[in-house]
Amino acid sequence: MHRKLALLLLLAFPAYGHQMVPSHPVLKQSHVSGILKTELELFNKRKDVEYYELGVFDADWNPIPFVSAYKVAHVRYLGHLKFDVYIRQDDKDRAEYVCSKSKLRGDSTGTLLASRICSKLQQ
Amino acid sequence: MKKILLACLIAGTANAAEIPIEGTVQSQCLINTDKPGVYGSPNAYTLSTTPADGGVVPIVRYDVTLADAYTARITYPTDFSSSPSLSDSVTWTGSVTVDEVSSVDMADYQTDSTTYDQTREYVLSATGATWFAVSSTATYGGGSNKAFPGGTYRAVVVAECIAN
Repeated sequence: MHRKLALLLLLAFPAYGHQMVPSHPVLKQSHVSGILKTELELFNKRKDVEYYELGVFDADWNPIPFVSAYKVAHVRYLGHLKFDVYIRQDDKDRAEYVCSKSKLRGDSTGTLLASRICSKLQQ
Repeated sequence: MKKILLACLIAGTANAAEIPIEGTVQSQCLINTDKPGVYGSPNAYTLSTTPADGGVVPIVRYDVTLADAYTARITYPTDFSSSPSLSDSVTWTGSVTVDEVSSVDMADYQTDSTTYDQTREYVLSATGATWFAVSSTATYGGGSNKAFPGGTYRAVVVAECIAN
């Protein structure tokens, strides 16, 4: 029943463009002492974009050091990418947002759209 | 003969596979380009997305599935991402407006929005889709109306969706 409802809702709200979930990821202890981690997923339904730049920021949009398998993630059209973001325990109270920003190709035409989606970290 | 049929049926049943389909519903914000923009050239020194000038205003759509959970920030361009070499200054003007909404609860989005520099900010207080029009005009020559050099000009609209 729940699966059918979920599928129905997914079909009712089809995903287009640039999407990143969850919107409010939770930081958890990683397998390394003093390092926290959270998991996110990107979905690319932009035909004109294949790369997304990842970043972690504080409330004033200052960058915060982080580690991930990708700084710039390659996500093909209609592709999903699950990735982990690691930050130091010391930065836990400062880290506010994890963002992904589309990287535009040089041969794109017209006025272009750079999309950026930011999830807010839950403490 | 019956035994053979039964054996075939059993074999067929054994070969049938259940393929699960799973989906997770969670709050999300989507950004989509519904209509890419085009610069028209009403005169030699102006490039504009205004339809009357031969341009096309780009339309950006935001889809949100949770009310009051996101803020949309949209910035019109203030420089070209690629262009021929320009020796003089370019003056930019632009605007961001709500073009269409999917819910009457979004009727006040434009009046409730705030603006700073080239950016307009909207609190997405209702679920559904909102379409934003992002117009921009570039004038060359720093007031002396010099002709743009021939070539291809591209500019970038920045659309952000930030979880609250």
